[in-house]
Amino acid sequence: MLSVTEQKDIEFSSSLISQFDEIVTRYPAGKQKAGLLPILHLVQAEYGWVSPEAMDKVAAYLEIKPIEVYEVATFYTMFFLRPQGKFVLEVCRTGPCCLVGAEKIMDHIEKTLGVKEGEVTADGKFSWRGVECLAACGMAPVLQIGPEYTFYENLTEQSVDQLINDLKNKI
Amino acid sequence: MRKENNLSHLISHISNLVKMARKLLLEHINVPGINTLDVYRQHGGYRSVEKALKTMSPDAIVEEVKTSGLRGRGGAGFPTGMKWSFLAKPEGKERYLVCNADESEPGTFKDRYLMTYIPHALIEGMIVSSFALGARTSYIYVRGEMMPQIRILEKAIAEAKNAGFLGKNILGTGYDLELYVQPGGGAYICGEETALIESLEGKRGNPRIKPPFPAISGVWACPTVVNNVETIAAVVPIINDGGEEYAKIGIGRSTGTKLISASGNLNKPGVYEIDLGVPVEEFIYSDEYCGGIANGKRLKAVVAGGSSVPILPANLSLKTVNGESRLMSYESLSDGGFQSGSMLGSGGFIAFDEDQCIVRNTWNFARFYHHESCGQCSPCREGTGWMEKVLHRLEYGHGKMSDIDLLVDVARKIEGNTICPLGDAAAWPVASAIRHFRDEFEWHVTNPKEAMDRNYGLAKYADPLPKLEEVSQ
Ligand SMILES: Cc1cc2nc3c(=O)[nH]c(=O)nc-3n(C[C@H](O)[C@H](O)[C@H](O)COP(=O)(O)O)c2cc1C
Ligand code: SF4
Ligand code: FES
Repeated sequence: MLSVTEQKDIEFSSSLISQFDEIVTRYPAGKQKAGLLPILHLVQAEYGWVSPEAMDKVAAYLEIKPIEVYEVATFYTMFFLRPQGKFVLEVCRTGPCCLVGAEKIMDHIEKTLGVKEGEVTADGKFSWRGVECLAACGMAPVLQIGPEYTFYENLTEQSVDQLINDLKNKI
Repeated sequence: MRKENNLSHLISHISNLVKMARKLLLEHINVPGINTLDVYRQHGGYRSVEKALKTMSPDAIVEEVKTSGLRGRGGAGFPTGMKWSFLAKPEGKERYLVCNADESEPGTFKDRYLMTYIPHALIEGMIVSSFALGARTSYIYVRGEMMPQIRILEKAIAEAKNAGFLGKNILGTGYDLELYVQPGGGAYICGEETALIESLEGKRGNPRIKPPFPAISGVWACPTVVNNVETIAAVVPIINDGGEEYAKIGIGRSTGTKLISASGNLNKPGVYEIDLGVPVEEFIYSDEYCGGIANGKRLKAVVAGGSSVPILPANLSLKTVNGESRLMSYESLSDGGFQSGSMLGSGGFIAFDEDQCIVRNTWNFARFYHHESCGQCSPCREGTGWMEKVLHRLEYGHGKMSDIDLLVDVARKIEGNTICPLGDAAAWPVASAIRHFRDEFEWHVTNPKEAMDRNYGLAKYADPLPKLEEVSQ
């Protein structure tokens, strides 16, 4: 089922725009499209997801067609195309992590938060999902939380409980 | 008694020192503040930039790297000096050096480690390498999830620029270089060099058809070299000490040191810098490295070079079919070809203990490749999906005996029939798991209920190998 969430009347702040301006200086003249990924990361850090409206605005800023933004935002796994919980726990679910208990950690998170992978808790604070190898297999199991992608290593059920509690208190 | 103890302590101390002296990339990793320019310079940092830019010609640097025998550390092991010498140098066109810091191959985490703790080693290598290639703008493409490492690198670049190692007229030599960090968006395929180039241009990470190779037409259709983080960092000691010195380390055509990411069921998982040629057995069991299998268990299997390389049972991991000790080198790990060997790959060393289920892990890897296929070629897009589905039903007790050969057949039809090597990378783990662990796959079909409750165990995978004569009889 296709469901589209709207984000009405968004306006990029001047500080966001000035960051965009700096990004496009990194590429040769006329190649500003290369700034698309870094700019989408900034947009997501600001709003928690990248809405169709935000993508259109990015397209206008970079002077490219909206489809060029959509096709990129849908290709890469890091961009959320609908609103998420305030904290998205992303647990590595790939082989090496599973050798040392990543699947148990994911089950535990599902039970503790009471929502399935990809869903948001009723209070809007949390969502979670499995992601592929995060290049930290020696510290497994691991999870990350955007937008800064803070890293939590050698997870146990206890350390996950502690983390979730800390995050609850943070809001 | 006491004296003896002291003596053996001293000997082990000295031998540790000798080994430590061999560390080229991680020598100073534990020095507090080594992530800052000042401390990094106090420990000899940026000497290679002075030497290269002030006393060497670009071609002389390429020659030095050729002499070193350095091979690409990203997975394919292609000789770096040779790759550099292929770079086209047309008049009036920019050339680019792009560092591949996409590190997404399951089992590999050395580049993250290096960038986190000694970011300047990469920046220093980028400057020297860019100079050698005649690049005036270079990029470090870092996977988007490594946001903290992106910040670390950006800070290190700012420090280097402040100190005159980057920017206009570096160290008064007239050489200009700008260095930027580019984030990815979360896609394993962007580690493939042409997909990385597409991604850097702000597009989907669809690999390009080669030729043309990036050396002729890469970023924005300009000649481009793509190199792994560790490859670039290794250029620093090669320039400091000379390619010949570097080539003395290692074994045969596997010269120098290599960062190994060790994960799975080991007592001491982590990143180790080894001289190429260390026996696999020593790497797993000695206290200097992984300290043996965790929880007193026995070794069942090894994936020696990241998820894409063939899996080997314990016995073939430690010894080749000829009964020779298996070494951590490009040649020794691939000894025996696909029949009984594997590959060094990216150095992602994954150890499986006797409690691990090979079918489940193979399904997990197949799921990974299906998820990460860019979808451009049908053998890869469809084939990885089929393999995932069939492995899922085998693992969950609905498999048929014919599924096992079906998997082999699908893997064979993917291999060699795709635009980029992700297809092969998806096929090899499945084909090798069935080649070496067929009993375990069959057991999942014949004992579906039991397979849900318990694992197959070690079986005979760690038994000594039969002698060659016995095999041929
Ligand atoms: C699917 C796929 C993923 C890859 N991922 C990486 C990676 O994460 N890092 C890397 O350095 N090389 C990766 N490579 C290899 C690159 O294509 C390329 O060979 C390498 O960056 C060249 O650098 P090197 O010669 O220094 O190893 C990958 C290749 C394939 C086919
Ligand atoms: S082999 Fe797979 S990942 Fe590579 S180009 Fe083809 S579909 Fe894409
Ligand atoms: S498999 Fe989880 S970090 Fe690599």
